[in-house]
Amino acid sequence: MSFTLHDYVLSGNCYKVRLLAQLLEVSYTINPVDFHPGKAHKSPSFLALNPHGTLPVLESGDTVLTDSAAMLVWIAQQHDKQHTWWPINDAECLAMTVQWLGFSSQLTESIGQLRLHTMLNRPADAETLRRQSIRHLRELENHLTEQSIRGQAFLCGKQPTVADIACFAYTALSPDAGLEHTLYPGIRGWLHRIRCLEGFLTMPGIYEAHETRNEHTAAS
Amino acid sequence: MSTQPVSLSRDLTIKQVMRAELGDVDMAVWRSASGVVSAWENRCPHRGMRLSHGFVRGESLACAYHGWHYNCAGACHYIPAHPELAPPKTIKANAYNIAEASGIIWVNATGNVAPIDIPSSTVPVRSIPIACPVESALNGFSKHTHQSLLTQHTQAEIIADTPYVLALTPVGSNSVGVYIAFQHVNDSTTVAHITATDNASMNDVVALSRWANEVRDITEFSAGVSE
Amino acid sequence: MNAALEHALQDWYPVAMVGELAPGECKHSKLLGVDITVLANHAGNATESTPTITVRADGAPVDVQQAFDHWWVCLGNKPRSLFTIEEASEADRRFVPCGVVRVACSPLRAVENFLDIAHFPFVHTGVLGAEPHTEVYKYDVKVDESVDEVIATNIKFYQPQAAKSAEGGIQTEYIYRVPAPMAAVLYKTCPLKPDALDVIALFVQPLDEQTCDVWPWMALYDDTSTQAELIQFQQLIFLQDRSILENQLPKKLPLDPGQEIPTKADYTSVAYRRWLKKRGAYYGALEVHP
Repeated sequence: MSFTLHDYVLSGNCYKVRLLAQLLEVSYTINPVDFHPGKAHKSPSFLALNPHGTLPVLESGDTVLTDSAAMLVWIAQQHDKQHTWWPINDAECLAMTVQWLGFSSQLTESIGQLRLHTMLNRPADAETLRRQSIRHLRELENHLTEQSIRGQAFLCGKQPTVADIACFAYTALSPDAGLEHTLYPGIRGWLHRIRCLEGFLTMPGIYEAHETRNEHTAAS
Repeated sequence: MSTQPVSLSRDLTIKQVMRAELGDVDMAVWRSASGVVSAWENRCPHRGMRLSHGFVRGESLACAYHGWHYNCAGACHYIPAHPELAPPKTIKANAYNIAEASGIIWVNATGNVAPIDIPSSTVPVRSIPIACPVESALNGFSKHTHQSLLTQHTQAEIIADTPYVLALTPVGSNSVGVYIAFQHVNDSTTVAHITATDNASMNDVVALSRWANEVRDITEFSAGVSE
Repeated sequence: MNAALEHALQDWYPVAMVGELAPGECKHSKLLGVDITVLANHAGNATESTPTITVRADGAPVDVQQAFDHWWVCLGNKPRSLFTIEEASEADRRFVPCGVVRVACSPLRAVENFLDIAHFPFVHTGVLGAEPHTEVYKYDVKVDESVDEVIATNIKFYQPQAAKSAEGGIQTEYIYRVPAPMAAVLYKTCPLKPDALDVIALFVQPLDEQTCDVWPWMALYDDTSTQAELIQFQQLIFLQDRSILENQLPKKLPLDPGQEIPTKADYTSVAYRRWLKKRGAYYGALEVHP
């Protein structure tokens, strides 16, 4: 089913939905919401749609979703006929997927908040957020290191799931918050594998995989 | 400045570029499509953009900002804004000496590169950053060998000191040995590049990865940093 | 006080959008290394739709003026006059202040990047540029002595999506001007009105020599896009630049021509650096004022 995404171009959580929709070739309509500087997500009309005052919001017929992880599941369950992105036929992988979806919302609270502070001047306790963010990056790095030792390219196995998309956004955007990927080789490899997926979509701070084009042969 | 480890070979696959820091030296380390590894000053001569943000195409590293292409010798050979122009030979990335040995990439930013002699038949475990000076990290990994099942009754020996390399040698003949090469990033950051002898099973390598994380936590805790 | 700071103190800088703060609301910021507070006053009379502001630097009130939908302040005792943008008084344009974005870079590097077209295919891929359309054709740059501004004209570049209102790729024409060391204005082909030019400006608030708050502002002909769409298009572009700006070394802009390698495509930046040097506008630049 098609849907309308109430969207903000710089939001990592909105980006998750745009990215999965693009990877699964799902068409949808974007309704840009003036999050910054307009704070339109706190306006009465928006609060009537989403009382939490958060973005994104997915609307499709009578369905209104306000949690990005829920949106990823909703899209994957309908449009991924192979059931790899939302692996309902594999108990272990499905449970891991739910677990890492949970982790992705912690990334929003740490890296996501630190990024808003660093980039858009939102008030925050930057030092506490920075420590939490590093703890989260280390946890992710530990897991991805083990996965790659086991020959598993993604968070929950050999195939990417919605959890990879959910965790990718704020991990990839951490340099916006002043946290580079230099010291996290496991994370670097995983980010690269996701950027190279067929149909990958960029956002500001996450560049196109220019290396997938052919080399320029010297000027004639 | 001496020879320093900057990455496990495994973690820099073809067509990848990464950043590495050695004291004040900021570098881009990259591997071409055919496997050639290079380490350069992390600065495009054009506008000063960090080359570690760039992208590898074939045998060239291109800058993320304006796409200037540099070949493995560091020479700029293509400027997209002027496709017909043959760039002057003077436009060059500043290259450092680099060597790949024993599954580790070694760099010396100021002189000849001299990799430390580690048996080449090792398997990669992981590179792990520790928020403390290199001596504390060295001390941590020497003292806490008993935390791991794999290295019970091991002998910890510093087999090199510029850079520091620690060998954890098992007593039993079938046990797994570990080598740790320490990268001195700055006075508050050290990276431990860890490999194991090739009798390590996949599960052993996973266990060593967890052990490294535990040692890091203990070491940082005793150094009074809590990341 | 050093001469670079003394020079920078005499210019005007944006510190808030008009209407950004509610009456009585206050925010803390920084300008040229000085802590400032920006307070929205309670309306003096009922006809004022937005409150005026009071800005204090180190506790003392400073000069304030309103222009281009922003509040501007000058901390110096010999203020230069604020530059003009004629299109700001054209009633049929849409005026779009885009909010503030903080960047850990020299304010001069932020302006220089705004004057650059050669990066479009790599940094704004698929929007303002795309391979293989990477060539920068010859254009003209001069300092207009009558107003003492850098002007670059006759710039043409192929763009896949030149503006929110563009449908498909077009050959876009650009004019750039630098009316003050920390402000730049561009005029580009308007997709909806081919005989007119859209105006996009970058106003930079230098917090210190290596950190700035950037306030993009636009004056467009576009009666189809929503305000949110226009703002987000501009934010999409500017935030693509941010990670470039935070990774240029050295952090301060080198004015000595030997330190970086310009090509013909960089003539605007060459002229900008020369102009900064001639004026003595060294705040955020690498060289110490002679």
